[in-house]
Amino acid sequence: MPMYGDLGNKLALHAKRTQNLVHLPPYQAELVRAVTREVRDLDKEVAKLLEPFQGSFDPAADQATACTLLVDHLSMRRNKRCLLAYHRTRTDKLEEHVWNGVDVLDLAAQQAGNPNGGGVGAGDGGVASSLSPQEEDYVRQYGDLLAAYKGQWTDIDLTGSLEPPRDLFIDVRVLKDAGEIQTEYGAINLTKNSQFYVRQGDVERLIAQGYLQKLG
Amino acid sequence: MDIDDILREVDPTFHAIPQEKQDLQDLTRAWIAERSAPELLPWPADGLFERINGNIKAQIEKVEEMTGDMDPRTNFALIVIQTELERYKYLVRSYLRARIAKIDRHTLHYLSTDNLRSRLSEMELAYATRHQALLHNHYLSSFLSSFPPQLQNLNDAAGINMVEAPDLDAAVFIRLLKDIFVEGRGVDSDVTMDGRESDIVILRWSDAKPLVEAGSAELV
Repeated sequence: MPMYGDLGNKLALHAKRTQNLVHLPPYQAELVRAVTREVRDLDKEVAKLLEPFQGSFDPAADQATACTLLVDHLSMRRNKRCLLAYHRTRTDKLEEHVWNGVDVLDLAAQQAGNPNGGGVGAGDGGVASSLSPQEEDYVRQYGDLLAAYKGQWTDIDLTGSLEPPRDLFIDVRVLKDAGEIQTEYGAINLTKNSQFYVRQGDVERLIAQGYLQKLG
Repeated sequence: MDIDDILREVDPTFHAIPQEKQDLQDLTRAWIAERSAPELLPWPADGLFERINGNIKAQIEKVEEMTGDMDPRTNFALIVIQTELERYKYLVRSYLRARIAKIDRHTLHYLSTDNLRSRLSEMELAYATRHQALLHNHYLSSFLSSFPPQLQNLNDAAGINMVEAPDLDAAVFIRLLKDIFVEGRGVDSDVTMDGRESDIVILRWSDAKPLVEAGSAELV
């Protein structure tokens, strides 16, 4: 019989692993459900243990029961912390993607459709998206929240580069066709493998999204 | 030289640093401090950011005006102004992001008391409140709603407090702005020293904070 907290421990390990990955590994729906079930079972056991005492339980008089209750109690809290840590690690990752302008939902769909395609997180070859439906909702809502906050600093571009700017103009190489962009020096047509000398502020988003590569 | 010029020369406010320059200096200070301090520092209350936004807007307009001009000299000035503008914007962005990162990390902590809440700007407060609500909702819909009701809180204080707070004992570097007596708590023993102006010392933030708040030292 598995020990209390074994499942929670697995979740914590998943969370730990996730921290070092670029992409999110698939959501452990089964494990989350199992840990939650364990909490409910423990809670029922506590209720059952306490039932005969009718609310007048004296720990000193029945130390064995008191000990069981304490273990149950601690296991429940521990499971809860593991669940919170697991979900928080994932939302942190998702928020990071949102800040970087990565379309997480699109990415998840791509990984799902192409399990062998480069994505570290797709290693398990899962067919479903690596995000839980709740996480997909969360990403959408957080995206809206960030857009609202950003909207109050329109001149700053909050999601812009956090590298101190050195040069106004930079050399970039086009990695993927990005179509035509408008700059104050006219339109530039970004076709793959071409190279341009452009104003950094004009192309920052495209660099972040992987269309362009900064040279030098 | 007429009488106005003479009067202007003896007027102490005339030689004072212009407001824009002062604002940039304040912003740079706030930026350095925010990035070094382990906890969130109070949002500048004197309308600094309204002025900064105004300055940025004015410069952007200037750039747009000058772009039409084909004179090479204007062109050179334009590049200087644009570079400066990018740097200014970077400072603001980096400052705001440093704050958001701290707020995100300890959201519940900063929302827990009025005193802590007052350190956030209105926008940050709205952002933090909404973010926390989103997270809580996410936990609820993912697993928390199937928990027994008494376990659904996010701020259980029994045993270990669930709300994490920043480590106020983390080490920071400060530069002394005047001669002052410095006290620091160590692991084994406490240290005191007679600090001189422009000395740089490493201290626990909890020890350095009173000095910084009194204006006797600044974070570096």
